[in-house]
Amino acid sequence: MNKKVIVSFFIGYSLLFAGSIYKYEQKLLHPVAEDAGRLLPIAVKSIKQAEGEKQLQDIVRRANKTGDKLSIAGMQHSQGGHTYYPNGTVIDMKKYKKVLRFDPQQRTITVQSGATWDDIQQYINPYGLAVKVMQSQNIFTIGGSLSVNVHGRDIRYGSLIDTVESFRLLTADGHIINVSREENEQLFSLVIGGYGLFGIILDVTLTLAKDELYEKNTRMIDYKEYTSYFKEVANNPEVKMHLARISVAPDTYLKEMYVTDWTLAADQSGLAAHSPLKEDRIVAAPKMLLGLSRYSDWGKNKFWELQRVYMERGNGELETRNNVMRSETAFMEYENGSRTEVLQEYFVPVNEFMDYIDDLRTVLEKEEGFNLLNITIRYVEKDEQAVLSYAKEDMFAFVLLINQGRSSQEIDQTERVIRKMVDVTLDHKGSYYLPYYAYPSMEQLHTAYPRSQEFFRMKRKYDPAERFINLFYEEYGK
Amino acid sequence: MNFRRFILSQSLIMMAGSMIFPFYVLLLRNVGESYTQFGWAYGLFALTSAVAYPVIGKSADQLGDQLLLVIYTWGMAVILLFFPLVTEVWQVYVLQIFMGLLGALQKNTEKTSLARHVRKERAGQQIGAYHTWTSVGAAIAIILTGYIVDFLTIGTIFYLASFIYVMSGIILLKKPEQAASQ
Ligand SMILES: Cc1cc2nc3c(=O)[nH]c(=O)nc-3n(C[C@H](O)[C@H](O)[C@H](O)COP(=O)(O)OP(=O)(O)OC[C@H]3O[C@@H](n4cnc5c(N)ncnc54)[C@H](O)[C@@H]3O)c2cc1C
Repeated sequence: MNKKVIVSFFIGYSLLFAGSIYKYEQKLLHPVAEDAGRLLPIAVKSIKQAEGEKQLQDIVRRANKTGDKLSIAGMQHSQGGHTYYPNGTVIDMKKYKKVLRFDPQQRTITVQSGATWDDIQQYINPYGLAVKVMQSQNIFTIGGSLSVNVHGRDIRYGSLIDTVESFRLLTADGHIINVSREENEQLFSLVIGGYGLFGIILDVTLTLAKDELYEKNTRMIDYKEYTSYFKEVANNPEVKMHLARISVAPDTYLKEMYVTDWTLAADQSGLAAHSPLKEDRIVAAPKMLLGLSRYSDWGKNKFWELQRVYMERGNGELETRNNVMRSETAFMEYENGSRTEVLQEYFVPVNEFMDYIDDLRTVLEKEEGFNLLNITIRYVEKDEQAVLSYAKEDMFAFVLLINQGRSSQEIDQTERVIRKMVDVTLDHKGSYYLPYYAYPSMEQLHTAYPRSQEFFRMKRKYDPAERFINLFYEEYGK
Repeated sequence: MNFRRFILSQSLIMMAGSMIFPFYVLLLRNVGESYTQFGWAYGLFALTSAVAYPVIGKSADQLGDQLLLVIYTWGMAVILLFFPLVTEVWQVYVLQIFMGLLGALQKNTEKTSLARHVRKERAGQQIGAYHTWTSVGAAIAIILTGYIVDFLTIGTIFYLASFIYVMSGIILLKKPEQAASQ
């Protein structure tokens, strides 16, 4: 081999070597933060694991000196960049998850905010206690859940804020304060549903319910009957939890519904036998059919029919409250480089239900390319304690699962459809849920949340330096 | 390039290859994110190899094994510098195409070199020796990597492997007369 060639190789190689190492170090220095929606990958300065109160206080105080921006992250299942900010520091709360106090008599528990519902369930289940209000799934942190003020299958205990006794907050100036309905009460209704903008929730005291045995029943009804059906359910105190699904399959589009009730079992003696907590398992058939329904109408029709078979087989099944509140998520997991699955959630007053569905159908029937995979419906009681409250009346909550591409073109396409849906929702005196991707417009936010401007004003009052910040605030708050 | 040098360089290649292999798979898996893409990444590798073999075969006879092997080792050394930087699937696909080409180069030339160096009567013994040493290289690398991953970033392992490939190329290049004295 020619000497010249060899020498040039070595020079080129050395340059490449140095360049590669330089780029690689840059990459390590700027980890990319991304939430479950995977539409907003962004380089942040660093990700710090929460270890203890003192350390968190130090982080905040140091940031006040250096001017660093802070964002707070739980499991990062919010989908609009609520947990990070370009070149900011992400405080990851996941390891901050000890149970601090537990009083089975008083039915209260105090946990650090990085604990998940699963952690709490594992802890309290042996004592025959259960969570009052949480999402349908148990994978979320308490801090993340408080910050969006969640709701779920339970129809008797209101929204999460009702079950919170008090919490401790690490504020933007580095102090730790108690917050409850009596102490710093203004912050109580700001931090709950506060999207991490008022400081770090350190630990939370929640009230608990008794674990009970429920009987599960599902039937199919037409959407026109649903409102009156639900009113019966609401008037029957024996029904403790409720969930409905409305078809997105072409043959029965937004018409057929499956409604599921969990009724207090007449005979509670089987409680102990049913109380072991079930573990998440992947049920192969629904996973496959959900997979097929991503790609074809045929798949959507089959998936809808199969759900019926599954549900009817489950009729009369007994399940404990704790187990109802840890439903499967694994089969929903979706891995695809260029596509992702995002959620939307719309709230509509109970009496508007039928008209709303008709209007929604009219809008969506024109949107051929919009890949809607699933809609579940739950109930939220009127609750205006939180400043950013979505339940201005008794509402139905529609959770939509949407499969979409990640290119900017496809994001725009989805945005167009979603804004139309939000308009329909607002026309029916509804609102929408904020932990998801920032598709809705600023104006839509203001209509859905009449107190949103007050909320952001308060944010700047409590945190004038905007120490706690995230993409949600960037998009709507400034 | 004599037989011993050939074996030594091939052992180094095996070492470097075995060092990165688990991380290489991990990388494809992490960046690809779906089994379909994982499948494509490997498919592209195999496909490019298939297309390349006929050309490589011919050029081995024209250009000589030594040159091709040096191209292989240094090509690998360069490609590996890109691995730590990959963030997108398309980048993996591009790298896989290059890896496919180089892989074909190595497999073919390894065999042609063996064919040219080995004496028919002693082929069993000599090829046996070849495999012994290259496997020893692989084994050492795998065991050592197991120890060092805890201390180094995955990126560093790619850099280390890249360096070993360069060394392997240098060994191949040593003048025949020097080699002949052994
Ligand atoms: C598959 C799926 C199903 C869902 N189902 C439901 C449902 O049934 N009902 C429902 O109401 N919601 C539901 N959601 C929404 C979910 O409840 C919220 O996204 C929730 O915030 C996720 O919790 P997390 O731990 O992932 O929080 P993250 O996404 O990590 O954080 C959410 C917000 O909380 C803030 N935050 C987190 N921890 C703290 C802390 N310690 N102190 C201060 N601020 C903090 C963050 O800054 C961020 O603004 C669902 C979401 C998904 C992806």
